[in-house]
Amino acid sequence: MSVFTRSQADRETLLLPELAALTAHHRANSAGYDRILSSLGIAPDATFGSIADLPWLPVRMFKTHDLKSVPDSEVFKTLTSSGTTGAGASRIYLDKEAAGAQTKQLGATLQEVLGGERLPMLMVDTIGIIKNRRSFSARGAGVLGMANFGRKHTYVLDEHDQPEVEAVKKFLAEYGGKPFLIFGFTFMVWLYLYEVARDNDLDLSNGILIHSGGWKKLIDRAVDNTEFRRRFKEDTGLTRIHNYYGMIEQIGTVFLEGPSGNSLYCPDFADVVIRNPETWEEQPVGEPGVIEVVSTLPRSYPGHVLLTEDLGVYNGIDDGDWPGKHFSVLGRLPKAEARGCSDTFSGAAA
Amino acid sequence: MTSLTQRFPAAPSLEVGALVDELRAAPPGGRLRVGDPRVVEFVTKFARKLLAPATARRFPELASLGFFLRKGEIAKALSTLDTSAGTLRFPRGLVFHVPPANVDTIFVYSWALSALAGNHNVVRVSSRSAGAAEAVLEALNAALSEVDPDTAAAITATQRMVTYDRSDEVSGALSLAADLRVIWGGDGSVAALRKYPLAPHARDLTFPDRSSFAVASVAGWQRASEAERRAAAEGFYNDSYWFDQAACSSPRAVFWVGDSAGARAAGQEFRTLLASVLAAKQHVTEPAMAVQKRVSAYGAAVDGLVKEIAFDGNGLATLELTDPAVLPREWLGAGTFANAQVSTLSDLVPIVLRKDQTVSQFGFTTEELTAFAHELAGRGVDRIVPFGSALTFSAVWDGYDLLAEFSRLVTVQA
Repeated sequence: MSVFTRSQADRETLLLPELAALTAHHRANSAGYDRILSSLGIAPDATFGSIADLPWLPVRMFKTHDLKSVPDSEVFKTLTSSGTTGAGASRIYLDKEAAGAQTKQLGATLQEVLGGERLPMLMVDTIGIIKNRRSFSARGAGVLGMANFGRKHTYVLDEHDQPEVEAVKKFLAEYGGKPFLIFGFTFMVWLYLYEVARDNDLDLSNGILIHSGGWKKLIDRAVDNTEFRRRFKEDTGLTRIHNYYGMIEQIGTVFLEGPSGNSLYCPDFADVVIRNPETWEEQPVGEPGVIEVVSTLPRSYPGHVLLTEDLGVYNGIDDGDWPGKHFSVLGRLPKAEARGCSDTFSGAAA
Repeated sequence: MTSLTQRFPAAPSLEVGALVDELRAAPPGGRLRVGDPRVVEFVTKFARKLLAPATARRFPELASLGFFLRKGEIAKALSTLDTSAGTLRFPRGLVFHVPPANVDTIFVYSWALSALAGNHNVVRVSSRSAGAAEAVLEALNAALSEVDPDTAAAITATQRMVTYDRSDEVSGALSLAADLRVIWGGDGSVAALRKYPLAPHARDLTFPDRSSFAVASVAGWQRASEAERRAAAEGFYNDSYWFDQAACSSPRAVFWVGDSAGARAAGQEFRTLLASVLAAKQHVTEPAMAVQKRVSAYGAAVDGLVKEIAFDGNGLATLELTDPAVLPREWLGAGTFANAQVSTLSDLVPIVLRKDQTVSQFGFTTEELTAFAHELAGRGVDRIVPFGSALTFSAVWDGYDLLAEFSRLVTVQA
């Protein structure tokens, strides 16, 4: 059951009513969300002509306010992440159903590139990252979430963040002849897996790499996605590489890089809108703008239509590896800063 | 031992003990007096540098500073210090200034007035200072090389601007040596510096976090000509957008005073004019700032403070308050204004806090404003100024007559 099947027209037809119903559901169950839409003059019975017409919330709202559409008694899990904007932590409330849905849909999304069975798994991280189950970093949460999709986990780094070459060699000797899964954050994969594999002539050609986290830390090494893929292919034989884009505020929804690389695709229950930061209108293909992520998964909190703080661009619509819009992430919006009399602004998190 | 970098006069680094010893010594040519001609000569030379077209173009705020420090303005300010027979005015002594790190140029006003009062000054300039602050230091050093050598010697002996990394030792020593400590930069800075004891006779002059709002008379708006209305919008633009609305004197809320139908119509017309000013000035709101404004506006809605949010492009966001009493005092992002209607200025009296600094006004008479000030009875609001003057620094600031604060009185009876 692939979740990369819907053309853009199908998404408008099938997702829009679902998203409009979600909007009404959140208005009915989250007083704060309803107050936002009311003050923007959006009538309770408003209809929306397209996915791009749906009202969006800035993703940072979840750092500054508690927004949820379930009673406290039904909160099953609270996710917190500090993210990178330094504005405190996002707080995302999941009830049992939402927690189940996000795991299920993440699995369905990754199945597209992993196949149906759990594969032996190489973790480009240290086991220490998930040792303390009480307080997770975002990295730890990512590692733990992904661990479910593999078996026979081997961690590439020791507790001092040093690569354990022997452990990797042992893993490859045992499982490297068949498809195996590799997971890690982009910059760590480059620093600790690519360089170790290259220097030790390791064969990763049966690997399927899933990675995320952006390119910012690799800029000074002049590594972008194209270079990343080229060098992995040439020096380690690894060709099945899938970057993904996702955030804790829309947990379970990941936009996955297609097999031919350099473009991210929306699973069938999600969509993306690139907006012009001046007019907030949707941008045409090829024009950069601010990324809005749309997903039917957030039912326990009003996170179904979120304006991120990332810049992106549509690479095309219905003309790539999989149907629907496909896009690239270009980087983060620069921080908003102001001058003033005080050294610090209370309330100005930016 | 932490050493201090001497930014003005540019000189080799030194230890805090040596700095204090140098600043305590009598300068060549004799001790500084209130309104000392040597300081006046130096400050006016410095002011001319700030007014040089190249500098003024790059940093308009430095042109305002230069204007404030012209010879005529200085003479006017110093004349307020005249004393009656039997009373003499003298400098306070050594003044330690701690300006805000995200420099606007306010520290220069603080320093210049203190120097004109005849004090020896040490100013801590942030290592993060940039742009305008660097230009100020350049102008100071350039002015020093152009004044009479005797003047230069006296200024060099008594006036220092230094940079040092956070240091208990240095801040502690300078605090203990000071006769007056001047702390800008808000509540955080005040709290941080208060840890360091002062000499028993010394005092603090503090500039904590402040916030400001605007009032506009509906009747005054209706009386005003088209040109006056446009000028009001332009003045308001300068008040608000010059420092991204983050200056303590920039208005964060606008109260329309009068009947509600009139207030709605006037407010609408004012915002249309303001939007056209933004367009004419080609005001750019960075995308991150546009997002920040939405986070603030939506947050205020979630909190129940706001019943209506309107965006005129990215530059102007208007938040209709559910109740005038819940006016936001924190920064919400450049060009984000809470808006409310009240029947009379008296309705605002219970809302005002000590923290409220500047009321920018449009369309009121002196009598109306004076009555409002009397009703406030000093519980809050330090200045009431017309639209367009919110950011204009004056020698009376935050309720203090600065030159008076920077000097002391001696009485003589035969």
